[in-house]
Amino acid sequence: MNAAARIEAILIVSPRPVSLRALSRAADLPEPETREALEELARRYSPESSGVVLRHVAGGYQLATNPACARYVESFREVARPAPLSAAAYEVLATVLYMGPITRGGISAVRGVNSDAVVRSLVDRELLREVGRDEEAPGSPALLDVTEEFLTAAGAEGREDFPPLDELVSAEELERVRERVVRSGREAG
Amino acid sequence: MFTVELDVYAGPYDLLLKLIMREELEVFEVPLRRLVELYRSTHLAPDLERDTEFADSATALVLLKSRLLSPLLEPAEAGEEAPLLSPEELAGRLKEYLKIRRAAERLADRFKANAGYHPSAVSLPPRRERLAISRGRLLETARRVFSRAPEPQTHHLGPITVTVQELAALIEAALTRGPRSFDEIVSGMDRLRTAVAFAAALSLSSEGRLNLLQSEPLGPITLEPRP
Repeated sequence: MNAAARIEAILIVSPRPVSLRALSRAADLPEPETREALEELARRYSPESSGVVLRHVAGGYQLATNPACARYVESFREVARPAPLSAAAYEVLATVLYMGPITRGGISAVRGVNSDAVVRSLVDRELLREVGRDEEAPGSPALLDVTEEFLTAAGAEGREDFPPLDELVSAEELERVRERVVRSGREAG
Repeated sequence: MFTVELDVYAGPYDLLLKLIMREELEVFEVPLRRLVELYRSTHLAPDLERDTEFADSATALVLLKSRLLSPLLEPAEAGEEAPLLSPEELAGRLKEYLKIRRAAERLADRFKANAGYHPSAVSLPPRRERLAISRGRLLETARRVFSRAPEPQTHHLGPITVTVQELAALIEAALTRGPRSFDEIVSGMDRLRTAVAFAAALSLSSEGRLNLLQSEPLGPITLEPRP
């Protein structure tokens, strides 16, 4: 059986992304050949012509349905998509993504509001998980980080897929914030 | 019933309050001005009691929101003034928060764009590392399990048929006509009731409501009401 067929067969039974190394091992192929097979599969499973597409997410490869066919898949499965996350949940995820691993207290400090309830729901949804403890902090609180499910849901291969935090807000915008706050502080004083 | 339609919630107002109080919905996500506008557009005719109740709860929400949104959220230690941030420090914090806020918006867009992918529905057994347990956690669990006291056997105990309170009332009633011997009070009682009556007598004695008199060890006991 050719390389692409082997890789295709492995991916079709895996709901989670499979790393290049795991694919090579399972398909008994050297990594360069596995990579070539993946390129062939990417062409075959093109979003323009196929109901199934090849994704490169969370450090691995995954076959998934084409989002253009989502309504038909969801109608067939008779299940609604999970409720979208709240704005607070996205803030917590962004905090952990850019500053993690981080404690619950650290998240709350960044957001300026207690975030324990939001963190709990994100852990339940497997978008965050505890990855260790901050041994230097009193009580050794748990450190949280984003999960493979998070990267898959965000369509990201890894953390490097996200733009640097400092590029998200322009220097002019930040300066406007500073000026406004300092001016209102002077007026209040 | 006042029903609200907001981006973050749609349903009865009472339930909205409960969700906020139970921290299942964050108050800063609730646009309070919109809430007041909805109330005013729903209830055109004044009703003092209803309007007062709404004003009361809305004020509580405003206070809660302002407290949560204040720049320094960690409560000060008792007797300690909450430290004030300088405008520059506050600006610094807001700038960091603004970046996170913007990152969250980008993230929401990414999640939305990727929500339509459905992977294989085949279910696989859990990954090996997810079944793993650290040595420390295993030791802690074992310590808890093995140090747990065994459940005492209670099958030989019958249902409770008499209480200390009942027999304390009986003793007090018996002493209204003066001192009585314990044997006299418990005459005709079975072992269980006699034992509970003794516990009731000790309890009344410790409360200062009677004296227990015994002239010699193992001798008869006399119960004497205290004035």
